[in-house]
Amino acid sequence: MLRVLVTGASSLLGRAVVAGLVQRGDEVTCFQRRPSASLGVDVLGDIRDADALHAAARGHAAIIHLAALVAPRPRWCDAYDINVGGTCNVLDTARDCGRLVYISTPSVAFHDLPSMGSAAEAACYGGLDAYARSKAMAEVEVLSRRDLASVILRPHLVWGPGDTQLVGRIVSRARQGRLVLPDHGRALLDTTYIDDAAAAILAGLDRSGDAPAVWGRPLVVTGNDPRPLAELVTGILRAAGISRSPRSLPAPLVDRIGRVVGRWWPTDEPPLTQFAARQLSVAHWFDQRDTQAALRWTPVVSVDEGIGRLTTWFHEQGSSAPRLR
Amino acid sequence: MALDTALSPTSEQLTAWGIDPSWSRRVSINGADGRPVDWHVFDTGPGPRGTIVCVHGNPTWAYAWRDVLTTLSPAWRVIAVDQTGMGFSERGRPRVLEQRIEEVVSFCRQEVSGPLVLVAHDWGGPISIGAAGQLGVEALILANTAVAKPVDVKLPPLIAASRALVNVICRLTPLFVDGTARMTSQQHRVALRAPYRTAKRRAAVRDFVADIPLSPKDVSVEALERCAEILGSLECPMLLLWGANDPVFHDRFLRDLRARAPHADVQRFADAGHLVALDTPIGAVVADWLDANNPTERLDDNNSQKSSVSSDDGFLSVLAAVKQRAEDPSPVYVGPDGSLSWAALATRSQRVAQVLIDDGVVKGDRVALLIPPSLDLLVAVCALWRCGAVPVVADASAGLTSLKALMRAQSPRYVVGTKLTVLLARSLRVAPHAGYGLFGSLPGARDLGHHSHSHSQSQSHDRGDVTVTSSDVAAIVHTSGATGPAKAVRYTHGQLSAQRAAMGALLDSDPDTAFTTSFAAFMLLSPLLGKTCVRPDFDINQPSTLGFNELQDASQRARVTAAWLSPASAKQVVATAKGRSLSIPLVMLAGAPIAPSLRKDLATITGGEIRTPYGMTECLPVTDGVQGEVHEGQPGVGVGVALEGCVIVIDRLDAPDQRVVAAEGWGEILVSAPWLFDGYEGAVRADLSSTVHRGGIRFHRTGDVGYLVGEELFVLGRRIHVIDAAVGPLASVALEGRVGDALAREVAAVGVGPKGAQVVALVVEREGSLRLAPKETSDAARAALDISVAAVLEGVLPRDRRHQSKVDRTALGVTVSDFLAGR
Repeated sequence: MLRVLVTGASSLLGRAVVAGLVQRGDEVTCFQRRPSASLGVDVLGDIRDADALHAAARGHAAIIHLAALVAPRPRWCDAYDINVGGTCNVLDTARDCGRLVYISTPSVAFHDLPSMGSAAEAACYGGLDAYARSKAMAEVEVLSRRDLASVILRPHLVWGPGDTQLVGRIVSRARQGRLVLPDHGRALLDTTYIDDAAAAILAGLDRSGDAPAVWGRPLVVTGNDPRPLAELVTGILRAAGISRSPRSLPAPLVDRIGRVVGRWWPTDEPPLTQFAARQLSVAHWFDQRDTQAALRWTPVVSVDEGIGRLTTWFHEQGSSAPRLR
Repeated sequence: MALDTALSPTSEQLTAWGIDPSWSRRVSINGADGRPVDWHVFDTGPGPRGTIVCVHGNPTWAYAWRDVLTTLSPAWRVIAVDQTGMGFSERGRPRVLEQRIEEVVSFCRQEVSGPLVLVAHDWGGPISIGAAGQLGVEALILANTAVAKPVDVKLPPLIAASRALVNVICRLTPLFVDGTARMTSQQHRVALRAPYRTAKRRAAVRDFVADIPLSPKDVSVEALERCAEILGSLECPMLLLWGANDPVFHDRFLRDLRARAPHADVQRFADAGHLVALDTPIGAVVADWLDANNPTERLDDNNSQKSSVSSDDGFLSVLAAVKQRAEDPSPVYVGPDGSLSWAALATRSQRVAQVLIDDGVVKGDRVALLIPPSLDLLVAVCALWRCGAVPVVADASAGLTSLKALMRAQSPRYVVGTKLTVLLARSLRVAPHAGYGLFGSLPGARDLGHHSHSHSQSQSHDRGDVTVTSSDVAAIVHTSGATGPAKAVRYTHGQLSAQRAAMGALLDSDPDTAFTTSFAAFMLLSPLLGKTCVRPDFDINQPSTLGFNELQDASQRARVTAAWLSPASAKQVVATAKGRSLSIPLVMLAGAPIAPSLRKDLATITGGEIRTPYGMTECLPVTDGVQGEVHEGQPGVGVGVALEGCVIVIDRLDAPDQRVVAAEGWGEILVSAPWLFDGYEGAVRADLSSTVHRGGIRFHRTGDVGYLVGEELFVLGRRIHVIDAAVGPLASVALEGRVGDALAREVAAVGVGPKGAQVVALVVEREGSLRLAPKETSDAARAALDISVAAVLEGVLPRDRRHQSKVDRTALGVTVSDFLAGR
C-alpha cells in the first residue's frame, strides 16, 4: 500500500486515476480547490499555495501532479501561476516524498508540422497559446530536478464517458451546428481512452519507484490506434445519437477563422482557436514502442471499443438525464 | 600569382574543395632521373585494413580521388599522389611511362607497408598496372583507362595532332586542362584547374600527351605493351569502374580491357563520363567491393563456389545436345514461319557460324541478337554458341530507348538481326562500329543465310566448333525492369546445362512431345529441353493476342503436352474460349500472382493440370509450381516445392517482435541452385547487394518475401512493399487478399510513417480523387483483418507503367502519407 497525493483530482482523468489507485489498495489524498467527487480523501486548497500543498503532502510517498489550467484562452498570468508556479510548488514538496508523476501534454512540442510516428520531442516555447507555452516551461522545470524520481507523461487527446473537454465540446458544437472539420478531417490523430490514460499513469507511478532509466524523460502516451479526425468525430457523434455529419472547410480557412474568432470572441469559450484549428488539421500520431517498453504498459481500449463504451454511456445518460428532452 | 609559386594548396582552398587540409603533405621520393623529387600527396593516415594508393591521369591530380579519400578512410589509409610535374608536386624533367612506373613503385616501397590496393584513372592506369607487376598488390581498381588502342578505334584528334599543336593545346594555352575540367560538374572545375594555371606549370601535361605511343618508333611503345601483358597475367581481384559517357575511353576500350582481364568485376555508370571518380560516388562501390574481396573471406568464397557451381562432370552444353541429334529429322521448332528439324538446325547453324567466323566473330564476343522468336532465332543462337560467342538478348517490349541503352551497355562486337532491326540498330547507333549480319540482304551487312564459301558445306565439320567449358559465358539476358531498372544477367554454359535439367524436371521426359509458350525467352528453350517448341501465331510483344484459337491451333500442330503462358495470355484464352475446350495436360503460369478463378477456368478449358512455378530471370525455375493441399486462408500464392538441386532459405526481416500476420518465419526469399545466374554484367554493385553467402553456398536475394509451410513456398510479394509496423513487418499482399475478398473490390495496403513504426492504410479502388472511405466500407475492411488499420481510403490505384497490372504501392504510399498528414 502506498500513500499517494493526487493534485487536480476533480478532472475526468483525476477521478479515474484516484479510482484506479483506490481499487488496487493505495491510500489517496486529493488536493484541489473544489470537492473532487472522487474516491479519495479531499484536502481542499490552491496549487499556488505552497504551504497548503506542503501540509497536504505530509506523510505521502508519491505525488501525481495533474492540476493545471486548461482553458481555450487563458490569461498568461493565470496560466503561468497555475501551470508553472504550481508545478514548482509540487517539485519543492515532492523532494520530501521522493517520487513524482508529472502529467504534461504533447502540445509542449507542438510545432505546426505533421508529426507521424515520431517519438517524444523536446519541449519548446513556441506553442500557440498560453496553455502550451506554460506547460512547456513547467516540463522544463521538472526536467531540471535531477534529484527527483520523476516520471513525465504526455497523454495525447484523452477522451471517454464524462469527458467535457474533447467529447463534450464536439457534441455541443455539433448540436449548435457549429462543428467544422478542416479538409474533411483527414489528418491522422492519436487519442487515448480515459481508462488507458489512467492505467498509464498508474504504471508511471510504479516506474517512479523501480525504474530509474525512465526518470526525467518525457513519454508520450497514446492508445496507439491513430485514426483520421473525421472518423473519430463521427464516431463520437454517433455515440451521442447525432447522425448529422459535420461540415468541412479548407484547412487554411479554418486556420484563419480560428485566429480571428479565438482572439475576438467575447466569452472565455470561443468556438474555435487557432491552436485548436492547427492541432486538428495536421497529423499527430506517435511511435509508442519506447513508451510501452518503459512503462511496461500497453493500452487495451481501441478506438472502436471506446466508441462502443461511449455509446452505452450516452444511452444511460439519455434515459436518466432531463437535458435531452 | 600566389597559386603558381606556392608548392601546396592552402588550407582554405582544400576546405573549400571538400578535402581535409591535414591530409595534404609532401614526400621526397627517389626520382627516376636519379634526383630526389618532392611529391605532394593527400594521405588520410593509418587505417587498419591496409593502404589504397590512387594514381591520377592527365591532366588531373590527386583531387580527382576526393570521394575515395573521404569514403574509404579511416578504415583504409588512402593516399592520392600527384605525379612528378603534375598537381602540386615538383616540376621536373619530362618523364616517360617507364619512369613514371618506377616512381610509383619507389613511392609505394618507401611509404607503404602491409596490404596495398592500387586505384588508377586514365594514364594512371598503365602506370599502376606496370607498378602492380612489380609490387604485388591485393587488388587493382581501374577507371576509364586503356593499355592499348583497340584495332578498330580511331584516336581522338588531340592525341593524334602534331607535336607542335600538342604544345599549343596542352601547355601554351589551358585548352586541354579546361576541356578536361569541363567534362565534369561545375563544382570540381576550380580545383581541377588550380595546379595548372600557367604554361610553366603545364609542361608535364604536354609531356604526358607527347609520351602516348602513336607509331612503333615511339619511346613508350614497349613499356605500354608490357603493361598490357602484365594486365593479362595479374591474378589479384580487379575492378573496372567505367563512366559510359567518355568521348576518349569509350565502351570499346572497356571491351578491350575485359578481354585482357576476363576475371575483372565491372561497374559501368551510365550517367558518368571520363572523370568517373568525380561524376559519381565511386567510393561506396569500392568499399563494398573491397569488403567482398577481403583476402580472408575470399578463401571461403572460392570454397563456396566450388560447392555450388557444378564441375565439368555431367556438363553437356546445349550445343552438344543439339549436335547429338544432328541426324534427327523430327522437328525442334514448329511455327507460323515454318518448321525446323534437329538435323536442319545442326547444319544451318553450322553454316551461319562459318559466316560469322569469317566475319570476325571470335570466342567471348558479345553479339546483340535482335531477332524476334522464330526459326531464324534458334539458328542464330546455336550458330553463336558454335563460335563461342555470347548472345545478348533483350525484351523489345521495353521500348526502343531502353533497348538501345541495354544493348549499348554490353558494347556488342556484332549485331545479328532482321532487316528492320539492323536498320534500326544502325540508325540508333546501338552498337557503334559493330559488324552486322542478318538473314536477308542489306548493304553493309553480311547475309547469314548466304554462304559464299564453297568449302563450307563439305569441310564444315573439320573447321570444328570452338570448345566451351562450363565456366565460359553463354548468354546475357535482361530482367524485365518492372521492379527497378533492367539489369543484364549473365549465364555460363555450365549454368545453362544445369538449367536444362531443372526445366526438364518440370515437363515430361518424352522427347516426342512438344510444348508451346507465350514467352519469347522460353521459345529458345526447345534445344535446351530436347523438345519441340510450337510457336503460336500471335504478336510476341502483346501476350494478350494469344487467345483460345491461337492456342488450339498451336496444340494441333504437334503433340503438345505442355503450355507455358503469361497471365495476360491465360486471361485471353479464358475470355475467348466461349465454352470450347482443348487438351493440354499441363499448363504452367508464370509472372504475376494468379487469381484462383483464372486457375479454375483454365483447368476446365484445357482439361489439364495448372501449375504456377516460381522463378526469376536470375534463377529459373525455383519451384515445381504444384499447389499442395489448399491451406485455408493461407496468405500469398502457393508455388510448390523447390526443384531438386535448388535451395530456398527465408531470410527473416529485422523486427523486434515477430508478431506476424501471415505465418511464422516469413521473410525475404533467398534462392540457390546450380543454374543460378553468374552475375549482373557490368553492375558489380548490384551483384554485391544481391548476393549473400550462407553456409558456404551462394544465394541470390530475390527481393520477394514469402514463407515455407513444410516444403511448400508461399510468395507474399515484393520486399519493398512490406509494411514495417511496430508490431512487426506486415506483408501488404496478405492484407490485400483478405480485405479484397471481403469487399469484392481491389485493395492496396500501404504503410504510413517512419520505418519500424508504420501504421496500415488501405486504399479501396474507386473512381475519383483520394478520400476517406464511408463508414460501411471501412468497417467491413477492418472486420476482415485482425490488426489495427489507421485509415481506409478510396481512390484510383496507380499502376506501374509497364505491366498495368501491378499496383505501384511505392507511389501510392507517398500519396496516402501526404493525404493523412493533413495540411
